[in-house]
Amino acid sequence: MFGALSDPTRRALLAAIARQPAATATELASELPISRQAVLKHLTALADAGLLHRERSGREVRYRVTPEPLSDAVSWMAAVGGQWDERLAALERRFTG
Amino acid sequence: MTDWIASEPDRIERPTIERIERELLLQATREQVWNVVTSGGWLAETVELDLVPGGDANFRSRASVKTGWVEDASMPARLAFWWATAGEPATRVELTLEPAGDGVTRLRVVEARPLDVLDLVGTPLPRVGGRSFGPALAAA
Repeated sequence: MFGALSDPTRRALLAAIARQPAATATELASELPISRQAVLKHLTALADAGLLHRERSGREVRYRVTPEPLSDAVSWMAAVGGQWDERLAALERRFTG
Repeated sequence: MTDWIASEPDRIERPTIERIERELLLQATREQVWNVVTSGGWLAETVELDLVPGGDANFRSRASVKTGWVEDASMPARLAFWWATAGEPATRVELTLEPAGDGVTRLRVVEARPLDVLDLVGTPLPRVGGRSFGPALAAA
């Protein structure tokens, strides 16, 4: 389970999903600077690790954070860690751009 | 098992998941980085920091409002503060700025949850909204 969280993009993705009730790959790709294809790959890894739950909604699949294996500490790590990743990325853009 | 917390596992002093560590090298002086990280638009959209031990700290964004206090501010090397959203336990944030040669600054960020900080600092938990905890802990 922790292995699935080793990637900063996955943590950012998990944090983005945790901010809303449920999200689709298309919605997440519009929020994050990665392609829908890449989003789907990470969502699959997170779902396989039991961190995300998939549910079908019409023609789309919505993803929701699984509360169970994601203990309070881990969800804090994912949410707050994701915020720092965003802040540091913004700082990097500022000083390289 | 916990080495996913930081990009450099050998820098983790205490293997606990209640702690977030990040490091970044920036092509800027410490003063330039300090100015950005203590101004509005980075920690939150609006940032009010009284940069003295025990000084008030307010962070406002559309998504959240956090209040807290400054534990230590040593421009341009180190800023440590506590913050919390109303009703939630405060966490401690420490920003360290080190020269990394040739106009490069290494920024290190650590955010830790109270239990972890308790172990580190050995002091009682501060309560956000309380009056005297800030200077008391800062002086410890």
